[in-house]
Amino acid sequence: MSGIKIILLTGIVFISLYFIIRLKKKLLDLLLLILMIALAAVFIIWPGITNALARELGVGRGADLVFYISILIFWFVVLKLYVRIRSLEQSFTDMIRQDAITKAENLSKDHSK
Amino acid sequence: MFVQLQLLDRPETGIMIQAEQNTSKIVVIIPAYNESGDMAGVIRAVLSHGIFSVIVVDDGSTNQLAESLVRLPIFYIKHRVNLGQGAALQTGMAFARKMDADLAVTFDADGQHDASDLPALIAPILEQEADVVFGSRFLEKKVSRMSFGRKMVLQMARVVNFIFSGLLLSDAHNGLRAFNKRALEKIEITENRMAHASEILFQVKQHNLSFIEVPVHIQYTPYSHKKGQSGFDGLRVFIDIVLHKLFG
Repeated sequence: MSGIKIILLTGIVFISLYFIIRLKKKLLDLLLLILMIALAAVFIIWPGITNALARELGVGRGADLVFYISILIFWFVVLKLYVRIRSLEQSFTDMIRQDAITKAENLSKDHSK
Repeated sequence: MFVQLQLLDRPETGIMIQAEQNTSKIVVIIPAYNESGDMAGVIRAVLSHGIFSVIVVDDGSTNQLAESLVRLPIFYIKHRVNLGQGAALQTGMAFARKMDADLAVTFDADGQHDASDLPALIAPILEQEADVVFGSRFLEKKVSRMSFGRKMVLQMARVVNFIFSGLLLSDAHNGLRAFNKRALEKIEITENRMAHASEILFQVKQHNLSFIEVPVHIQYTPYSHKKGQSGFDGLRVFIDIVLHKLFG
């Protein structure tokens, strides 16, 4: 087993441990993750498989295929994060607004007594 | 019951006194963020008409803004942190709704708007000719000191707004607007930053609100230039609009 294989495998072991601890309660996410990890491990140990798969799909090399798929996943994650940030910002804004208005109202009430 | 608020000498502890009942239901909302120009003068000019209540929404200023407004008979609302002009306007509008306001005007704090335009701006609403009135600097030749680049950016913004909203206004991003009670209830700004100007158009269209444009004066001063937007900001607004359309 070459050095790069050991490095990559160690990486995914740590990432998977981290996620398994965090996702204990979300079974579906966990199953999907295990599938991805298994796939990653297989590709690392037998990189020849990606080459065969790439040729099936009309891509030159296995590494290129992995790269293209990574770009797709990357964009998907970016959009998911963007939507999440927007909704967080909206709740944050609502809280600040509520707080500001309530304060102004309370002071107004105090003085009208 | 709302009473007129007045900033005390120590704004950090709380804000107001002066129990003046029968507050006007015609409000002018002025969003402000770290203003260093003569904002008190802007407010006095608005108040001098004698028919407006002024709501200042301080969008988390870190300078001495509140101190400069001490003793002015205004409603002062402060965001704890800076959210953006769109968010400040929405806070002002939410407060106006709570006051049961009949008419709300949005007015910039940097002195680029002229308080003497206010009667003409609200006239179409008082006469029930429109739900929303947009101030326009291009209906008459009253623009002073506007650079060519800025004109181009505004022309492009007009077209972008038209493409996305179907409404073609003569002036795309003018902060001087008036809303009647119906519009005030319907319009909900969710774009915290500068894309709110376009979002207002989308919602006018979406809620079938009638609108009219009224010529207003815009005074470009070195200060308002500094506070204003560049062409690069225009690009950011465009991206915000596209994302708004995609993700609501």
